[in-house]
Amino acid sequence: MRITGWSGGLAVAGLLLAGCGGGPGGGGKISDGGVVLAVLNDQSGIYADTSGRLTIEAVRMAVEDYRARYGDKAVAQKIDVVAADHQNKPEIANSKAQELYDREHADVILDVPTSSAALAVATVARNKKKVFIDVGAASTELEGKSCNKYTFHYGYNSYMLAHGTGSEVTKDGGTSWYIVYPDYAFGQDMERTFSAAIKAAGGAVVESDPTPFPNDNFSTFLLKAPGLDPKPQVLGTMHAGGDLVNLVKQYNEYKLRDKGVQLALGLLALSDIHSLGPDALAGTRYTTMWTWSMDDQTRAWADKFQARNGKRPTSNMAANYSAALQYLEAVQRAGTDNSDKVVEQLEGHTFEDMFVRNGTIRAQDHLLLHDAYLSQVKPSSEVKEPWDYEKVIRTIPAAEAFQPQPDPACKL
Amino acid sequence: MIMSRLARSGRGGIALLVIGLLAALVLPWLIYPPVALDIACWALFAAALDLLLGFTGLLSFGHAAFWGGSAYCTGLIALHGGMPFPVAILGGAAFAALLALPIGFLSVRLTGIYFAMVTLAFAQMIYFVANQWRDVTGGENGLQGIPRELFGLDLYDPFFFYYAGLPFVLAGLLAAWRIVRSPFGRVLVSIRDNPARARALGYPVDRYRLLAFVLSAALSGTAGGVFAIGHGFASLDGLYWTTSGQVVMMVILGGIGTLWGGAIGAGVVVQLQDFLATAGFEGIGIVTGSIFIVIVLLFRRGIWGTARHLARRRGLSPAGGSGGGPAGSPGLARAPASPRPAGGPPGATAGERC
Repeated sequence: MRITGWSGGLAVAGLLLAGCGGGPGGGGKISDGGVVLAVLNDQSGIYADTSGRLTIEAVRMAVEDYRARYGDKAVAQKIDVVAADHQNKPEIANSKAQELYDREHADVILDVPTSSAALAVATVARNKKKVFIDVGAASTELEGKSCNKYTFHYGYNSYMLAHGTGSEVTKDGGTSWYIVYPDYAFGQDMERTFSAAIKAAGGAVVESDPTPFPNDNFSTFLLKAPGLDPKPQVLGTMHAGGDLVNLVKQYNEYKLRDKGVQLALGLLALSDIHSLGPDALAGTRYTTMWTWSMDDQTRAWADKFQARNGKRPTSNMAANYSAALQYLEAVQRAGTDNSDKVVEQLEGHTFEDMFVRNGTIRAQDHLLLHDAYLSQVKPSSEVKEPWDYEKVIRTIPAAEAFQPQPDPACKL
Repeated sequence: MIMSRLARSGRGGIALLVIGLLAALVLPWLIYPPVALDIACWALFAAALDLLLGFTGLLSFGHAAFWGGSAYCTGLIALHGGMPFPVAILGGAAFAALLALPIGFLSVRLTGIYFAMVTLAFAQMIYFVANQWRDVTGGENGLQGIPRELFGLDLYDPFFFYYAGLPFVLAGLLAAWRIVRSPFGRVLVSIRDNPARARALGYPVDRYRLLAFVLSAALSGTAGGVFAIGHGFASLDGLYWTTSGQVVMMVILGGIGTLWGGAIGAGVVVQLQDFLATAGFEGIGIVTGSIFIVIVLLFRRGIWGTARHLARRRGLSPAGGSGGGPAGSPGLARAPASPRPAGGPPGATAGERC
């Protein structure tokens, strides 16, 4: 992986040299001699698998595709990709973001998982008047109270995850729910959205329990589930990362599936299924923003990605590819990398690409609205090739997938 | 005799002081200003912890409560009170001292590992309160967008803010230095070395320890407040036990009982984190952990402690610099006793021999 990283870097460097030699193109309107895309994410901690270093590769692929598309007509002839590891610490994210904008002349920062880190970077973007497209964080505060002119939220958020799973699974007949959620902001928000979605779709929440966070023993909650009155058909959970892995293992140990309690999740990444094995999660339904095996277009891109990196991409990596590509497209339309002009181009933009279907960037709160998918984990008997774990059950149209109205607290 | 020692250590001391001050002043020219401010804040935090660990012999594993608690309090005052940031920082420091009063009252009766565990437990309680009290603290999203104003002057540029925050850090370090040098500080050292004897001499040991705890918390709070204003937010991270662990690590790296060693430890750790963030290396914990292990195994006195020890052996010991009573220079007396709270007596003798 290190070798491919190097060769990827060399390839980009080579292309850069070629680009420089390619003559003036659309130059002059580009600040500091080139466009710099910065990826700020977790490369050593809990999100290193879902996001991490392969996300940087995805962004490099976007740069190559942009070059291939526009060639000599490209407004941005010289494009650099830089990266930093924020270690999930908001203060490091804060100083690194300033450094990326100031010293590396970054024109846009991408990814930034962990809500507190993402919100800190949003503040930096506002003060520096530079574009920030967040992909990795789920907090709806990015398009709510903390929204600003230069910050965009791209791909997914906690509303999409909870609302999608809650309403779609209820419509499929799972009308009585038992919810367990981690007791912190993300879990509490998701629980609220989840319950509202279930009720709106005609279901009922039998009980809803907060669990400590982080937690490694869920037996109290899981053993209680089949005995509740009325017996819940679905166990809905908002856990993520290591907590989710623990919960799923115990769910299987107690054979809750055989006892008629289905599992439905808010957030599930391809890398989670890969590490747990598909059988541990078989039949589990969840909401996702993208799956590599969705159709021919996504497959073609995933093949290219795998050829480079030896793995299939997670939805987060694909979302970063798309965000980088749409940023460069906006630079192309604006004819400059001036932040205000690029923001103007992004606001209200309607588009489709490898990742986004029926996409619009809502001008009022800078949230990307696009189709989401209710998916299900395949049992290993149906898995035909490596990494082929996900099955899309239904498309959730863009208009229903995200918050129908912008948060009134958001004033750009 | 005391006068002569002061004069002797004075020349070297003043030279070091000037070098230290110069380093503090030119730091944002040498490294990225927000990182320089981080180093300054952590340096004060480490000195505050050293006051307790090095000079009172109490290993607190819950100092995140004062750093993070003050960060939130400072942020709330600046955000909702509309106060200029110096008032907010002082408010935060006062809050940290108030918080330390009950925590210290209940913990100082214990020493060693029990004291560490109890302080850790209190800090975790504060963490959970901050996590749950979302209306005030913002939960895991943190308290964002803390303003950084001084009488209408916008100090957003981190370069200028460094110089606005530096006086607080220097004042805090000066206070720590004065505390250590005062008669009160001498009593603390005697309590550290032999609490039973200090009690026999008529000193109310627990009350001295409590006061040291509160003073240390107030200084930690000052550091946390500057940090919160400097970054423009307060987050749960600041209250988490890893923050307590990080500051203990800085003190041990720099040298326990040296006061200034913490600043060096802070510089090393913060710079390392900053460097590794863009180094493209995935095992950040492995690097910092290995450095920590090497220092603890090979240089038990820490970076500053080892440097001072070598300097004394080379230059000053023939002149009798280390011959004086331990009360005269607490740092020197510290070396054999310092690993005791963490390591145990065998290490102390080994450290003395090399």
